[in-house]
Amino acid sequence: MTDEVDRPAAPAVQPYELGPVPAPRSIRRFTAQAGNARGGASLGSLLSDVYYAVITIAISIALALGFAQAMRVALPPAPTVEPPRGLSLATLAVLMLVGLAGVLLSLAGRLGPVGAGGAEAAWWLSLPVDRRGLLRPAARRLPIVAALVGAVLVALLDAGLLADVGGRWPRVAATSALVAAAIVLVAALVQSGGVARRRTALVGDLLLAAAPVAAVALAVAGSSLDEIPAPPWWLVGVLAIVVAALAFVVDARLGRIPERTLRESGSVATQAVGAVVSMDSRELGRALSDGSAPSNRRYVSRLRTVRGPRSALVSADLVVLRRSTRHLVQLVVAALVPVLVASVPQLASEGGVLLAVLLAGYVAMSATGDGARRAEMAPVLDRLLPLEAKQVRRLRMLVPAAAMLVWSVVVFVAIGRWAGDVAGWVVLGLATTPVWAAAAVRASYRPAPNWGGPLVSTPFGALPGGVASVLSRGPDVVVIGLVPLWIAILLRTVTPTLIVIQLVLAAAAVALSSSIQTKGFMERMMAQADEGRR
Amino acid sequence: MSKPVVRAQDLLVGYDGAPVCAPVTFTLNAGKAVALVGANGSGKSTVLRAVIGLLEPEGGTLQVLGAAVDERSVAFRTQVSSVLDDDAYFPALTVSEHLYLTARGHGVRGADTVVESLLTDFGLTDHARSLPPALSSGQRRRLLLAAGFARPRSLLVLDEPEQRLDHAMRDRLADRLVAEKRAGGAVLLATHDPELLLAVTDRAVHVHEDATRVLSPAEAAAVIGREQP
Repeated sequence: MTDEVDRPAAPAVQPYELGPVPAPRSIRRFTAQAGNARGGASLGSLLSDVYYAVITIAISIALALGFAQAMRVALPPAPTVEPPRGLSLATLAVLMLVGLAGVLLSLAGRLGPVGAGGAEAAWWLSLPVDRRGLLRPAARRLPIVAALVGAVLVALLDAGLLADVGGRWPRVAATSALVAAAIVLVAALVQSGGVARRRTALVGDLLLAAAPVAAVALAVAGSSLDEIPAPPWWLVGVLAIVVAALAFVVDARLGRIPERTLRESGSVATQAVGAVVSMDSRELGRALSDGSAPSNRRYVSRLRTVRGPRSALVSADLVVLRRSTRHLVQLVVAALVPVLVASVPQLASEGGVLLAVLLAGYVAMSATGDGARRAEMAPVLDRLLPLEAKQVRRLRMLVPAAAMLVWSVVVFVAIGRWAGDVAGWVVLGLATTPVWAAAAVRASYRPAPNWGGPLVSTPFGALPGGVASVLSRGPDVVVIGLVPLWIAILLRTVTPTLIVIQLVLAAAAVALSSSIQTKGFMERMMAQADEGRR
Repeated sequence: MSKPVVRAQDLLVGYDGAPVCAPVTFTLNAGKAVALVGANGSGKSTVLRAVIGLLEPEGGTLQVLGAAVDERSVAFRTQVSSVLDDDAYFPALTVSEHLYLTARGHGVRGADTVVESLLTDFGLTDHARSLPPALSSGQRRRLLLAAGFARPRSLLVLDEPEQRLDHAMRDRLADRLVAEKRAGGAVLLATHDPELLLAVTDRAVHVHEDATRVLSPAEAAAVIGREQP
């Protein structure tokens, strides 16, 4: 370790001869060199990993771009006369950008954005060096990732919905990248000012919730933008200067971030990255929710609705949902998305509405299953109460069912207006509610991928065998259990037969999700066959 | 008379505005050791976290080396060495490299001799080249404690240092802490070990949710005996 700087006042106990303390950069280098030397990664394997990553990202972007361009071509031209209570594509795109900004701010707040996890916190932060040098790489990471993701996402959105002018996308991508980086840097600035991370996350959540609410308000008022002008290059230049200034200020203030904040942020980021790498969406949700939740509650629920073990379980799930602002916002946003799609003339095709209902329904359903997800990780209450495992799963469907009932009413009233038979569609929507609830519980209780078994090489890296069947638990119920809904939306009509079939499938979905089997049907058959051979 | 190393006056600690124990008052001078005793969850570790700046006090006064606690200042980090229950290590750094990182990071010259001596004292010589995942929990605990001594300090803060140590190592730790006091250092520790408490400390603070009391080491040892299941 070289690049030394002067040391401060001498401490009382120093049984060693002391010299200048090393520069932070040399501490980072010392740690990194040991890691590189023992990581077992040769230059060849490193290049191979980089090659795989670049190819995978390039293919993904190319596919997404192709899909976006195909979508733009498939969209019908804007009607010459604006329908009443409609929303233009341009307005929707602007509001989607506001929502994305909210998501980014919320994520930045939950992840820190500056943090020092595990070993760095324990072994680096106590050293008497300028912490800015230690934290600089961590502080740069999120703004850069946000800029890259923002550029790709918004450019795709623009290409898919709006752009028909050549040379527009580089300006859109550059502007988006700079705005995304600026949002994360503002969150870092706020963090260095001592503001609690959950406040930043809350502002992001509210911004996200405001976007669809504003969209509905604008649709009702009949106020829409005709087009979004391409950002001029001078604006890109101004944004670049703003981002550079923000980066400079954040860098200067890195040393002001308290160690406790750095530790909390680092811990959340480590948990979140681990969840992403191991493809565990439940763990990711816990990392993002718990890391920014207050450790004490101002109001203590007295659980007055509890009359026995069954109501205790349901009440507990309800408290979990009620206390999670992120999930409530997720529910509101997911309810308004199909409403908006049904009100934008160019998007309100049968395919567009079906896609919106399925995707938004899945997002809403995921928000309602937090109680079950927590119980899957730590079944504390389940073990305390005298209830059978199957009964527990059925009871755990009640809160998701209640939440999805409200969601269904909002969504299917809008679809009924779109298709012309509000009562019929609402009845069909209510019949789908048990399917969503069953899917929420099935997804919550799915087993984790078996990383201890043999791995299969894929373009996305080495994955455990059977990962697809594990990850499809939950979505499978949504896809198969809602076939009558698919047919109804694609035909734009509801019939009593479809409603009856939907009810039958809902009962089947509830029965399937009540099962406590962790293995699939085929796996169980094969296991039985193996046993029979023995 | 020199300023106390730690001065806590009606110090209130907790999380999100909810105190975990009654206000704590104590003074720790150079060359002395104070123990925090109390049942599990009584708030001992929370008080220690406030002293080393990992937690903002909810109320009262807390000064370390004559100034308000600010772990962001280099001067504070130079003076205060702490060993909490962190069980986090760089997976690619060996035991000795963790100690080198701490010693050299604090500008210790002749780090080779210092690390060698600490490895011997903490029974880690045979594991000097081992990576942390290969160590037992007791060996990892010894590594953390060794790191606390691998650097200069005026205040040594230890959270239940006896945890996961065998009897011989506890005795050796007690000898080290006595030597620390003789060298002019101040020691603040939370402990459930009456022998360590009697061997090292000059006073104890009984941390409780109703009231905190300053006790003699013998009284504190008796309290530990009563509170242990």
